[in-house]
Amino acid sequence: MPYLPLLACALALPFPLAAAAEPAPAVKLKPIAFTEYDLPNGLHVILHENHAAPVVSTYVLYHVGSKNERPDRTGFAHFFEHLMFEGSENIPRGKIDKFVSGAGGNLNASTSFDKTDYYFNVPSNQLALALWIESERMLHAKVDEAGVETQRAVVKEEKRRSVDNQPYGTLFENLAAMLFTGTPYSWVPIGSFQYIDQAKIEEFRDFYKTYYLPNNATLAIAGDIDIPATKKLVEDYFGAIPRGEDVKRPAIEWSMDTKRQVKDVGKDNTPLPATVHAWRAPVETHPDAYPLAMLTDILSQGRSSRLYKRLVDQEQVARDVQAFTYLLEKAGLVGVYATGLSGVTLDQLDKLITEEVAEVRKSGVTDEEFQKARNQQESQFATAFGSMQARAQNLANYYVFHSDTNLINTELERYLAVKREDLQRVANEYLRDARTQVLRFPVPAAAAAGAPPTSPTPSK
Amino acid sequence: MCVVTAMAAIDRTKKPSPAPAPEAAFPDYTTVTLQNGLKVFVIQDDRKPAVTFRLVIKGGSLHDGEKPGLSSFVAALLNRGTKSRDALAFAKESDFIGSRLEAVSGPDSLAVSAGGLTKYTALILDLLQDAVINPVFPQDQFAREQKKALSQLAAEKQEPGALGNKLAARVVYGPHPYGAERTEKSVLAITRDDIASYHKNWFSPKNATLAVVGDVKPEEIIPQLEKAFATWAPHEVPVAKFAKPPVMSGLTVHLVDRPGSVQSTIILCQPGPARNGPDMPELNVMNATLGGGFSGRLFQNLREKHGWTYGAYSAFDMHRFGGSFEATAETRNDVTAPAIVETLAEIRRLRDEPVPDDELELQRQYNVGNYLLSLENAGRIAQRVQDIELYGLPADFYKKYATRMASVTPSQVQALAKNYLNVENVAIVVVGEAKQIQSELEKLGKVVVYDTALKPLPVRKGE
Repeated sequence: MPYLPLLACALALPFPLAAAAEPAPAVKLKPIAFTEYDLPNGLHVILHENHAAPVVSTYVLYHVGSKNERPDRTGFAHFFEHLMFEGSENIPRGKIDKFVSGAGGNLNASTSFDKTDYYFNVPSNQLALALWIESERMLHAKVDEAGVETQRAVVKEEKRRSVDNQPYGTLFENLAAMLFTGTPYSWVPIGSFQYIDQAKIEEFRDFYKTYYLPNNATLAIAGDIDIPATKKLVEDYFGAIPRGEDVKRPAIEWSMDTKRQVKDVGKDNTPLPATVHAWRAPVETHPDAYPLAMLTDILSQGRSSRLYKRLVDQEQVARDVQAFTYLLEKAGLVGVYATGLSGVTLDQLDKLITEEVAEVRKSGVTDEEFQKARNQQESQFATAFGSMQARAQNLANYYVFHSDTNLINTELERYLAVKREDLQRVANEYLRDARTQVLRFPVPAAAAAGAPPTSPTPSK
Repeated sequence: MCVVTAMAAIDRTKKPSPAPAPEAAFPDYTTVTLQNGLKVFVIQDDRKPAVTFRLVIKGGSLHDGEKPGLSSFVAALLNRGTKSRDALAFAKESDFIGSRLEAVSGPDSLAVSAGGLTKYTALILDLLQDAVINPVFPQDQFAREQKKALSQLAAEKQEPGALGNKLAARVVYGPHPYGAERTEKSVLAITRDDIASYHKNWFSPKNATLAVVGDVKPEEIIPQLEKAFATWAPHEVPVAKFAKPPVMSGLTVHLVDRPGSVQSTIILCQPGPARNGPDMPELNVMNATLGGGFSGRLFQNLREKHGWTYGAYSAFDMHRFGGSFEATAETRNDVTAPAIVETLAEIRRLRDEPVPDDELELQRQYNVGNYLLSLENAGRIAQRVQDIELYGLPADFYKKYATRMASVTPSQVQALAKNYLNVENVAIVVVGEAKQIQSELEKLGKVVVYDTALKPLPVRKGE
C-alpha cells in the first residue's frame, strides 16, 4: 500500500503549518440576549427569548449542595432532590412527572457539591405549568414518611449502580477524599447509606426551610417566550413566596499546600491498571482557571496532544488518557487520568505522566500548541449553548457562581486574553511534584495472570 | 427592605390550562444528488457559526462476516493515515482548528462525523473526503488499535452493562450479524487486508448519504461538496446474505455469574420488529406506556412502588433486518427474581387489559410533545433524514409521525402488545452474583449460567 513515510507526508501537507499559524479572524459569536432581575423576595430571574423552535426550558438552581451538609449527614442534599419530586400542598404525591410528561415535556434534576438544580423542557404553550410546579416546590413542597422510605431504597440502588457495582466506580469518591481533605468537599454528593438511614423527617423539613428559599434560588427561562407575559407569570407564581433567612455559607480554608501521597485502591474487578495524578487548584472564579484549562487541552485534547502522543501512540501503554480541571465554588483540582493496556504496570504509566508534567513545567508550551488551544476554545464556545436547556442552565450558573450572567457571551475573551507564558506559570504554580496526589487502581493478581497477550503477532 | 406582595390573581390549587399547542412540523431541508451518486441533505441552522458533516455508509457491522469487530477497526482507522497525511499530520491539522473527525460503526451503518467553525469549512471538508476516500490503514496504527481492543475486552468482562448487552444480543439474534460478539479470537484474526477490503467493498457514494447541518447555504455548499468528493468514484456494492435469527421458545434465564456484584443487571429480551415495520409510531406509544419514562408502568412499579431500582425502562431496538424488545432494571440482589416477576406481570397486563384513557392520553402527549422538543436539535433532524434513506422509510414518515402517535387508541395498544410482546417465549439476561440469586431464579424457569467470558458453564449435578 502507498503508505508514505512521515517526512514525505509533512512535505505534502496541503495546509502547511506556516499558513495555519496565520490565524483566521476571530469568530463572531452570536450573542445570547437576556433580561435579568430580582423579585422582592430575592428570587433572581433570567429570561432569554428565542423563537427557533416552539420549546421552552425552565431551570431552577438552589444554591445548596453536598458541601452544605454535615459530615454525619452526607448525601442529604441529593436525597432531598429526590424528595422534591414527591409533591406539594396542591400537587398530589407522584403527580409531578405525570403532569410534565402529560404536557409533552420532560424533566430531571441533579445535585453536585455546590448546587441542586431542576429543569423542565416543555412545548412553549406549557410554560405556566412548569412555573406552577416549580413555584409549588419552592413554596410548600410536601414530604411524607412513605416518600422518604421509598426514596431511601431508590437512592441506595442509584449508588450501587453508579459507584459500588462499577469497576473504578469509587474513583471520584477516593479522589475527593484525598484532594479535598479537611473541607466539606471531601465527601461526594451521593454520600453514605448510613446517614440517609439515620436522618429523621424533621431534618428534611429543616433543610427545606433553610435552603429552598427564593433568596437562595435562581430561575432561568429560555426559549419561545414573550418577555412581558413571562415576567407577569413569574410574578404571579413566585411573587408571593416569602423570603427566608439569609443562607449561611460554609467557610472553607482553601490552600494549595499538600504533601505528595500515593493511595492504591484494592478492588478485585479492575482488570486494567488505572492511575490519577491530581493537584489542588484554585476556585472557579480565579483568573488562573483559564490558563489551567488551556494547559489541560494541550496535554490531552485530540490525538496531537502531548499525553495522547506519548502514552497512547508512541509508548503504547495507555488505552486512554485525559487531563482535566474540576473547579468548584470554594475549591478545585486539576488532574491527569490514564487507563493502562493489559500487561502494563502502574509504574510505567506513572513515570510517563510524571515526565510529561515535568516537561511542561520546565519548557512551557510551543507557539503552535498555544494557538491550537486558543482555536479549540473558540470552536468550543462557538458551538456551545445550542439548546434552550443549555442556555437556561448556563445563564443561571454564570450568574450564581461568577456573579456575571453575561459571561455566557464573553468568557471566550478571557481565554483569548491568556498569554502563552501563563500556561508554564500555572504548571509550575499548581502541578508541583512535591504536591502530587496519586490514586491508583492496581490489577488484582488473578486478573493479571489471565491477561490476554499484549503484543499480538501481526497476522498476514 | 420590606415589600408586601399582593396576592396574585392565580389559583394555585389548580393545574394551569395550557395555551393552544404549537405545531410540530418537521422542518424543510434540501436534497441533492452529487455527480457521483452521493445523496446529500442540507439542514440549515443559523444559531451558531458552525457546520457538521455526517457521512453514513450503509452496512456497519452487518458486513463484519466471520470477524466480528472488523468494521470498528475500519471506523477507528479512517483518520489514522491517508495517502497524503500520516496519523499525526491528520490529527495536527484537525486539532489545530478545533475540529473533530470521528467515525463509529453500528449495526446497520458506519457514520463518519466532522464539524467545526464555518470559517474552516474548506479544511474540514478536505479532511473528511481524505478520511473517506484515501485511508491507507497503516499496519502500525492497526496494531495499536488491536492492542487497545484486547484490553477493552478484558475491561468489559467486569462491566455489568457490557456483559448483559453482549449476551442479550447473542440470545436474540444468534448467528445473525446483530448477535455477533467481538472476542479475543476475532480481534486477533483480523488483518490489515481485511480492513482495506471492507473499505474497498462498502465505501461507495452509491452506498452512502451525507448530511450537512449548520450555518450554510445549499447553493454555496453543494459546489464545494462536488469538488471535495469528485475523486470518489462509485461502484456497485456486493450483495450480502445473512443467517436467520433463531426462534425463541420458552422462558430461559441466562445468568452471568459476576462474583462480588452488589446489584443484578436485568435485561428481559425477545425478538422485535425491523425499523421499517408498519407500526413504529404506535409502538412508541405502547412502549412508553410500559417503560418509556418516569411515568411508565415499569418505573412506577419497580421504583416508585417497590423501591427496588433506580430506573426501569423498556425499548424496541429496531434495525434494518430485525429488532429486539428489551426491558431493563438494576436491582439489589435479594429482589432480582421479584423484579423479573413484576416486569413479566406488567407485560401481561398490557396484553390483557386496555390502557385506561387518561393514562394513554398522557403517553400520547408525552410522545408527541417530546418529538416536538427534539426538533430543536438540528443534528437529530439530520439523523432522521438519513434514517429515512438507510431504512427505506416512506418519504413522509416524519411528517406523519406526530399525527400517528397522537391518535393511538387503547384497543390499538392492546392489539400491538399481543402482537409484539409475550411472556412465554422470552430470554432474561441477568448479570449478578450467582450464589445469591440463582436459586430464586430457578423458580422462574430454566437457568443457564455463564462465566464473565460469557462461556456457558456445565450444569452442576445434585443441586
